[in-house]
Amino acid sequence: MLQWCANGFGAIALQSLQSHATVDAAESPQQSPWAPKKPHFPSKAKNVIFLYMDGGPSHVDTFDYKPALEKYNGKNPHEVIGNLAPTQFDAVGSVLKSPWEFKQHGESGHWISSLFPHLSEVADDLAFIKSMTSQFSEHTSANYFLHTGNGLQGRPSMGAWMGYGLGSENQNLPGFVVINGGLIPPGGLDCFGSGFLPSAYQGSIFLPKDQPLPNIQRRERTDQIQLNKLDLIRQFDRELNDSLGGESEIEAAISNYETAYQMQRSVPELMDLSQETEETKKLYGLDAEFDNTKTFARQCLIARRLVERGVRFIELTCPGGNGDRWDQHGGLVDGHNKNCRTVDQPIAALIKDLKRTGLFESTLLVWAGEFGRTPFAQGSNGRDHNPFGFTVWMAGGGVKGGASVGATDQWGYRAVENRFEIHDLHATMLHLLGVDHTQSTFRFSGRDMRLTDVHGHIIKEVLA
Amino acid sequence: MIHFIFNRNPILPLWLVAILCVALVSQLTQRKVAAQEGISLTAEQSQFFESKVRPILVEHCYECHATDSETIEAGLLLDSKWGWETGGDSGPAIIPHDPRQSLLMEAVRYEENVISGMPPRSKLADNQIADLEKWITMGAPDPREKIEEDPSMNERENFNLEKRFESHWSWRPIRKPALPEVQNEKWVKTGLDRFVLAEQEARGLRPAETAYKPTWLRRIYLDLIGLPPTAQQISEFVKDDSDNAYEKVVDSLLESTYFGEKWARHWLDLMRYAETYGHEFDYAIPHATEYRDYVIRALNADVPYDQLVHEHLAGDLLPQPRLHPEQHFNESVIGTGFWYLHEATHSPTDVLGNEAGIIDNQIDVFGKAFLGLTVACARCHDHKFDAISTKDYYSLSAHIQSSARQEYNLDVDQQRKNARDTIAKQLNVIEHGIRDASQQPQVIRDAIQLNAATQDIPSQLTFTSNQVADDPNNEFIEFETFSDGKLPAGWSTSNGGFAAIGEDLRVRSDGTLAMPYTMDSGIWGNKQTGSLRSPTFTIEKNNIHFLIKSTANIKIQVIIDNYQMTGFNGLLFNGTLLQGGGTDTKGQWQWKSLGGNLNKYIGHRCYLEFIDNGDAEIAIDQIVFSNSGAPKTAVGAALDETQMALQIDQAITDLQSKRSNRWLAWQSQRTPELAALIEANFADAFSEIKSANQKLAPPRFVLAMTQGTTEDASVYIRGSHTNPGTKVPPRNLTAFGGETGSRLNLAEDLTDPENPLTSRVIVNRIWHHLFGTGIVPTVDDFGPQGQPPSNADLLDWLASEHMTSDWSMKQTIRSIVLSATYRQQSKPHPSLPIQQMTQADPTNQTLYFMPIRRLMGETIRDTMLAVAGSLNSAHYGGSVPTHRTEFMTGRGARGSGPLDGNGRRSIYLSIYRNFLNPFFATFDTPNPFGPQGRRSKSNVPAQALALMNDPLVIELSNRWGKQVASNDQNNLRDKITSMVVAAHGSEPTDKQLEAYEQFLNTQGEVHGKLDERAWSDLAHTLFNMKAFYFVQ
Repeated sequence: MLQWCANGFGAIALQSLQSHATVDAAESPQQSPWAPKKPHFPSKAKNVIFLYMDGGPSHVDTFDYKPALEKYNGKNPHEVIGNLAPTQFDAVGSVLKSPWEFKQHGESGHWISSLFPHLSEVADDLAFIKSMTSQFSEHTSANYFLHTGNGLQGRPSMGAWMGYGLGSENQNLPGFVVINGGLIPPGGLDCFGSGFLPSAYQGSIFLPKDQPLPNIQRRERTDQIQLNKLDLIRQFDRELNDSLGGESEIEAAISNYETAYQMQRSVPELMDLSQETEETKKLYGLDAEFDNTKTFARQCLIARRLVERGVRFIELTCPGGNGDRWDQHGGLVDGHNKNCRTVDQPIAALIKDLKRTGLFESTLLVWAGEFGRTPFAQGSNGRDHNPFGFTVWMAGGGVKGGASVGATDQWGYRAVENRFEIHDLHATMLHLLGVDHTQSTFRFSGRDMRLTDVHGHIIKEVLA
Repeated sequence: MIHFIFNRNPILPLWLVAILCVALVSQLTQRKVAAQEGISLTAEQSQFFESKVRPILVEHCYECHATDSETIEAGLLLDSKWGWETGGDSGPAIIPHDPRQSLLMEAVRYEENVISGMPPRSKLADNQIADLEKWITMGAPDPREKIEEDPSMNERENFNLEKRFESHWSWRPIRKPALPEVQNEKWVKTGLDRFVLAEQEARGLRPAETAYKPTWLRRIYLDLIGLPPTAQQISEFVKDDSDNAYEKVVDSLLESTYFGEKWARHWLDLMRYAETYGHEFDYAIPHATEYRDYVIRALNADVPYDQLVHEHLAGDLLPQPRLHPEQHFNESVIGTGFWYLHEATHSPTDVLGNEAGIIDNQIDVFGKAFLGLTVACARCHDHKFDAISTKDYYSLSAHIQSSARQEYNLDVDQQRKNARDTIAKQLNVIEHGIRDASQQPQVIRDAIQLNAATQDIPSQLTFTSNQVADDPNNEFIEFETFSDGKLPAGWSTSNGGFAAIGEDLRVRSDGTLAMPYTMDSGIWGNKQTGSLRSPTFTIEKNNIHFLIKSTANIKIQVIIDNYQMTGFNGLLFNGTLLQGGGTDTKGQWQWKSLGGNLNKYIGHRCYLEFIDNGDAEIAIDQIVFSNSGAPKTAVGAALDETQMALQIDQAITDLQSKRSNRWLAWQSQRTPELAALIEANFADAFSEIKSANQKLAPPRFVLAMTQGTTEDASVYIRGSHTNPGTKVPPRNLTAFGGETGSRLNLAEDLTDPENPLTSRVIVNRIWHHLFGTGIVPTVDDFGPQGQPPSNADLLDWLASEHMTSDWSMKQTIRSIVLSATYRQQSKPHPSLPIQQMTQADPTNQTLYFMPIRRLMGETIRDTMLAVAGSLNSAHYGGSVPTHRTEFMTGRGARGSGPLDGNGRRSIYLSIYRNFLNPFFATFDTPNPFGPQGRRSKSNVPAQALALMNDPLVIELSNRWGKQVASNDQNNLRDKITSMVVAAHGSEPTDKQLEAYEQFLNTQGEVHGKLDERAWSDLAHTLFNMKAFYFVQ
C-alpha cells in the first residue's frame, strides 16, 4: 500500500485502482494494469524467478548424462547418429564426449556434472525436463520463442503475460523485472517486451547499480524542490479535473504521480543490501574471487528481495565476459567452466535462502536456455546449437523436487521420450501460478491471443 | 471493372460454382460412396498384423488418427486400410512394399524432413519401428475395412465463404444514407453532424456546449500538425470574428508541411515502419527514410487515397507514375517500399520457412492496413470467422513470391535518363561515322592492321549460342547466352543502365566496341545504374558461372527464396554473393563463379541479380551451371596473315552495314590503340559524352518492389512450408471476385468504388485519430471478431463522401474538424442529468461531448521542443540517430545521437528495432512488428516518472526557464502568463496566476534567488500538468 507523505501531495485520496476487469486493456485506460488479479484457481507459487541461460547451455555437459558419447567419441556423427538437421554454422565435427565427470546426487539420484558442485547439494529440489525442444536454431528466433512463444519479434514476453493475467502485489515496484547481469540477449529488449499488450507490461531492465532504472531518481537537488513542484501540479490537475466534471483518465494520471513518487523511494531501498547479513552475502558468493560470480550473486539476492516485496516476475540474465554467453561454438571447456562458475553458487544459495525464509514454496524457479547444444563437435572444441532436445529444470512452489521427465536419444541429439515444447513449459509455468493458459487471452488481430498460441500441455510429471 | 460477388448476376458466379464443385467431391461424400470389400489376408499375414501391427496403431496412433478421435490430426486416418491409402494432408501414409517412400516410416523414425516425429510425445521403441517397416515391406496387409462415419458425429463446421460474406456487415455494399432529420437543426454545421445528433436525440441526449475558442484552437493544432499554437496565433484567432475564422485556421494548417509530418506518423504505425531489421545485429534497412519522406510528401500533396493504395501495392507497375513536381522523379514506386519494412534475421537454417514468416507479416500489413481484414489468420486454416480461405492467403502469397525487391534509382530530375539520351545521340554519331569511314576500307584496314594483335579470339568467346566452350565431359548446363541481342524473355532490368547488345554496331563511352550478344551496363559510361534479373529457376547444380568483363563494386547474387540478408552476413549463404573486388576482371573477359554453400539449396527457387549501382560497369556474356569449376579459358591461337585478312575483311563487311562481330569487338576491347583511334576521330562527340557524365549527381536509391517471374504458390498445408499442397495463382480474395491478375489488378479491385472495405477503413482511421476512438473501434479489424460500427450510417456517409471527393484525405479531415461535433467542449452539456448519461450512453459512443485525449509521445516531445524554443523546423532527410542511454545495450548498438535529437521533429528520429526510444515506448508508440492502427492507451506511473525525471524533459525545461529568466521586458505576471499560454494554450485566471507566483517565490527562496532555476522549475511543472499532455 502507498505511504502518504506529510505534505499536501501525499494527502490526495487514492483512486480505487484495485477493481479490475481483464477486458481489452487498450479500452480501459483508467485502471492500473498492474493491480493484483485473482488467479483462475488457487496455487502455491505466486512469483517467478526465471534464470535465463543466454546462448544455450550444453545439456550433455551439465544434466543429461550420455555414456554413449564416450563410446562413440571421435566418430563421424553422420554415420553414428544418422540424418542430421542443418546446423547454424554448418561445421559438423566428430562425436564429442563431455569433458566433465557426471555423478548422481541426492536421494533422487539426479545425474549432474562436475560443473555444478553447489547445485548438486540441492539436487532433490530440482525437477528436470530432459526432453525440451525448440523450433529454431538461430539465437534471436529461439530467444523470442522461449520468451514469447513466437519466433518473431515484438510479441509479449512471458513476464508481460503473467502481469496481464495476475498483476503484481507491489505497486511501488515494476511487476516484471529483468535484472541485467550485463548481457542483453540477441534479439534485444524485445525478449522482455509487451508486444501487443499495453506497454505497461513490458519488463523493466534493472542494471546492476544503485539507480538501476531510468528516470527513477529525481533530478532536483532536494526532495523539497520536487515536492513543491508536485504539489502545484496536483493543485492544477485537480482543478482541471473538477472543471471537466471528473475525468477518469485525468484522475488515473494524477494518481500515477503519487505512485511514481513512491517508486523513487522503493527502488533504491530495494537495491540497498546493507541490511543483509554477512553470512547471507557469503552464501550467495558476494565475496567470491570470480567477479562474475559476485555479479550473479547480487542478481540472485536482489531477486529474493523482489520476491519478498511481491514482485510477480523476475528474470535474470547472465553477466558478460564468459566467452560469449553459453554459446560455446568453440572453447567449450573454458566457456562452460566460467558460465557455471558464475551461476552455480548463487543459484544454489538462492534456493537455500528462499527455503529458510519460507519463500521457496511460493516462488517458482525456472532454469533454461533457448536451446541445447549438439552432441557432436563444431570444429574441434565447440558445440553448435541444438533445438531438437535439451534440458531445463524447475524448482519451488508446486514443483515436484527430485522429479525427472523425458529423455533424449542415446546421444542427446533428439528428444525421443515425452517430448515437450516451449509452449508446454509456458503452460506449466502459468498453471503453477494458478492460471489456465487457455483462458488467459488478449484480443488482438482478430484473435484471442495466448502465450501458448493454440498449443501447450501441462507437464504433469513435474507437478508436486 | 471487376465483378464483385454482391453484384448479383443472374448467372451463378464462377466462385460459387467452384465451391459447389468442391463440395460435391469432398472427402466426406467420397467416403460414403467408397464401399469397401472385405480384405482377405493369409494366415501368416494376419498373425503378424494382429500380434505386431494393430497393437502399435491402437495404442500410439488412434488417439489422433481414428474415425472417432476427438480431432483428426492432419486429416489422416490410420484405423483402416482405406485411411492410410487415401492419406492425410500430405498424401498417402504408406506405400506398400516401400518403407523408404512411406511417410509413416519417416514419422516414426523422427527423421523430421517433411512431417514431425510421431507419435509426438515419445518415439516408438526400436523393435516397434522395425515391425512397422517389416509390415510395409510385406505390402502392408491390412484386414481393417473402412469405418463408416456416423453422420451425426461428423457435422464439422463447414467453411462457408458465401454465407459469411452475406452475413457480416463490413462485406455489405456501401450505400450513401439519406441525411437524417433532427430536432436541433440550429446545431448542425455539416452533414455528419446530423448522423451524430440523430443518434444522440434518439437516446435522449444533447450535444455539449461549444468549446472556447482557445480550447478548439489547441485541439485543431495538435490534431492536424502535432504542434501547439503560439500566443500570437491564439490571440489572432480569438479576435477574428469573421464568418470563416475556423475555416481559415483549418485551411492554413492543412497547407502546412507540418501536417504531413503529424499524419505520416499514423500511417507509419500501420506500415510497421522501422529503419533496422532487428533480430541479432539490427542491420539497417536500406533507404528506409525515403519511404518515410514519401509518405509525408504524399499526405501534404493530398494524393488521393485510392492513388496511395495503388502506389503501395503496385507503384512499380503504374503505366503513368506520379512524378515529384519539382524533381520529376517517380514518386509512385516508393510506395511499394512498405512491403520490405519487415523485421529480418540473418542466416536462417531454414530459408523457405524464413520467407514464409516474412510473407505472413507482409500479408498481415496488407490485409489490416488497406482492408481492415485479418487475412493472415488464414495461413494455416480457412479463416475461423471471416470470408477468407487458406487459398486466398496463398494467392496473395503468390503475388509476393512473384515479385522481387529492387533498389530503384529515383533519378532526380531525370538526370541519368537525359544523360543517356545525350550520350546515345553522340554514340550514334560515332557509329555512323565509323560506318561511313568503312566505305573506304583501306582506312579501317590500316587502323586494324596497325594496332590489332595478330591473335584469335579465345575459345570462350567464339560461340554465340547453344554450346559451352571446352565442355568435353558435357558437364555444363547452359542457362543464358543472350544470343538474341535483346533482353531474353523472363529477364527484367531496372534503372536503365543495362543495354542488350546484338549484332548492330554499338560503340561504348570508352571508345571500345560493345561485345555482340551480351548485356552491358557500361555503354553510356560508368555513372549509369542498372539491375538485371533472371527469371526464377530451381537450383540444381552447386555452382553458377558467369563469363563477364566487369569492374569491382558490381553485385552479383543469387536470391534464394527471396532471402536478402547475405550482404550483411554470409553465414550459411557464403558464395551466393559476389561484391566489392570479387567482381573485378581487370579489363579481361573472365569466368567468375557463385558457389560455396549453394549445394545446401538444391531444389530451392531463386533468381540471379546483377546490380550496378554506379561507378562500376559489367558486361555479361553467358551463364552456365555445373557441379564443378568454371569452364576453362583457352588462349586464342595466333593468326597467320591469311586468317588475319579474312577477319579484317569480315569486319569491314560488317561495319559497312553498321554491324559488328565478336572478333572485332574483342580486338577493340583489348587493344587500347583502337579505342584511342576512335576517340581521336570523334573528339567532339566524346567530349560531350564526358561532360554529360561529369554533371551527374550521386544516385539516390529507394527500396521498391518490381515484378519477378509470375508463379503460382503452393498452399502450405496447415501453414507448414515443408508440406506443400495444391498450387494457386496470384489473385485477389475470393470475396472480391478472386480473379487472377497482377498487383495492379489487385490495387484496382481494392479501390473500386464497389469495394465495401477500403473507403470505410480509411475514413474510420481518420475519425479514430480525431476523436480517439473509431466509429469501428477495432480500426484494423472489420471482421466478425472486431467490433461493429457505433454508427453505421455515419460511417457509410463518410465513406461515400470520401469517394465523391476523389478520395481526398484532406477533404475528409476538413469536413470532420469543421463539424459541430468536433467543436464541442470536453464535458457534457450542463443540463444533461447524469442518470440520463449513464443509462443512455455511459461510454460517450454518440459523442455528446469531445473526449479528452492524451497526446502521443511524439507530440509531447515536439510540443516541448516548440514551447522551449528548441524546435528545428527542417523537413525531410536522414534520421537523427537514437539517443542511447546506459539502459539501451545489446548487439547491433549504434553510436548514440544527441539528447535533443538536434531539435528535429520526432518523426525524423531513427527507429532502430532493437533500440526503440524509451520515452515514446512509455507513451505507447507501438513496437514496429506489425500493423497497429490503434495504439494502446496506457496511463501508468512510468509516464509520470518520464515527465518528472527524463533528462530531455529536464533539459528542455531548463532551456525554457533560462530564456524566460533572461527576458527583462515583462513583469513577473506577464512572464508567467506567456509561459502558461505557450504550454496550455490559454491564459491563467487571476487566482491561478497568484498560485504560480507564489510557487515561483517559494522556489526562489529554496534556491536562494528567484533566477533561472525557479523559472525552470515552473517550466518543468507546466510540462507535467495534465493541461499540457492531454488535449480537450
